[in-house]
Amino acid sequence: MAKWYCGEGFQDDIVLSTRVRLARNLKGIPFPNCMSDEDAQKVISTVEDALSKLNYKFRLIRLSDITDVERQRLMEEHFISPQMLKEPAKKAVFLSEDEAVAIMINEEDHIRLQCIYAGEESEKAYNLISKIDDFLGETVQYAFHRKYGHLTACPTNVGTGMRLSFMLHLPALCMARMADNLFAAVGKLGVTVRGMYGEGTKSSGYVFQISNQTTLGKSETELAQNVTDVVNQIIAKEREVRRRIAKDKGVSLEDKIMRSYGIMKYAKKISTEELTGLLSNVRFGASLGIIENVSASTLNEIMVVTRPAHIMETGTETGEERDVKRAEVIKTLLNKKEE
Amino acid sequence: MLCTHCNNKEATFHCKTVSNGKTTEMHLCSECAHELGFAEKYSDIFGDGMNVNSIINQFFALSGKKPAVDNMLKCPECGIDFKRFNSTGLLGCDKCYDVFAEAVETMMQRTQGAIVHNGKISGPDSEEIKKQNEISKLKSELQKAILEEKYEDAAKLRDSIKALEKGERADG
Repeated sequence: MAKWYCGEGFQDDIVLSTRVRLARNLKGIPFPNCMSDEDAQKVISTVEDALSKLNYKFRLIRLSDITDVERQRLMEEHFISPQMLKEPAKKAVFLSEDEAVAIMINEEDHIRLQCIYAGEESEKAYNLISKIDDFLGETVQYAFHRKYGHLTACPTNVGTGMRLSFMLHLPALCMARMADNLFAAVGKLGVTVRGMYGEGTKSSGYVFQISNQTTLGKSETELAQNVTDVVNQIIAKEREVRRRIAKDKGVSLEDKIMRSYGIMKYAKKISTEELTGLLSNVRFGASLGIIENVSASTLNEIMVVTRPAHIMETGTETGEERDVKRAEVIKTLLNKKEE
Repeated sequence: MLCTHCNNKEATFHCKTVSNGKTTEMHLCSECAHELGFAEKYSDIFGDGMNVNSIINQFFALSGKKPAVDNMLKCPECGIDFKRFNSTGLLGCDKCYDVFAEAVETMMQRTQGAIVHNGKISGPDSEEIKKQNEISKLKSELQKAILEEKYEDAAKLRDSIKALEKGERADG
């Protein structure tokens, strides 16, 4: 089946992906920061048993059974978080057959159910993850508190345990220097804005992650609706500015975009850092109609499969070899889709 | 010198900005400096930046009442103490929520703006919890109806509450 980054989705020229995750813990077992190896294995086998009764099939990957590069690769695909790389002996991930759902075991919480799709697909993602959660909730015993709801290791996730996040590409707002003000304004509406690789990192390539700030006190639907409303407003603003830019774009913007496209198609060596900027320009150009025949899903695929671990898996060793391989992969994907 | 923002506390944060030849000076107390976002901007001055520990401490400090929790208070189930929770921001097990309830609720109020779950309910007691929630919701509506002297509504609410509570006894 197609991975999320090969698929298409609503408004995928701006929304790179929609991800929803639910944090859950099992009753009577210490949370991962406090658990023994034995506890960790118990959580893995409890979830494995429960999932085996479900029609929707999962594959268990124990992080201690795979290599460093393979773990890194799962992280680059957003199936696991950086935290999963520590203490691999305690960790596992269940990946659904269609690779839309990844269930991380013993990350900060025992169970982190997550679903990811390209584009703005919050309803589809939440409905799927909620069904799996209902099934698990009936099959295993969650740590659930009458007052606080689903208990999590960190009280900032307690209650619904839900985080709905969108990855947005916002070049027009950034170029018009409107992004900072906008983010400051939406910060008051209960959403968090981050650079693409999560907390603390500087945003790169005009890609931002927007998610709900709180998990307690409101229902899942209300929380989701709130982020979705904010995201839709940001998208509308981005479109408005794009239209203005498209109207009097001038030759220098077009030149910048076509140069980036040219490098992606013909260069012999491309580093990850360089590609981030190129991808942003080409994505923008494709959305404005300056570049034709390049779909958002092709660009998403390029974004993921050119990351270091993916390239390393092809057997490249030195940094230069990887940059050469990366340029080849980009060229192949662009040509394949143009045919 | 008093804080120029709240005119209440001693200013401990002094900032001089020169922009286009114009000099502006600010004198703030630590609370106002945090509130106005200077803590993030000048995290090197404020210590170790934005780690969970400092955030939690900030919440407790800013809320004016550092919960009267004994640093030695320990969860009998998993063995973590308040000191560890305070430094990592993480609880050790489901029991910790009751052991450290006061500190946890203070933190929830600050970070989440709420302390009561209002979403999906899981577990074997879920039907029971849903009913209890419904009853407490009706009870607060009943209070409101009585205050507003809407006695007809109040009677209806009282009957619904009774019916629900009866069902509970029949089940249990």
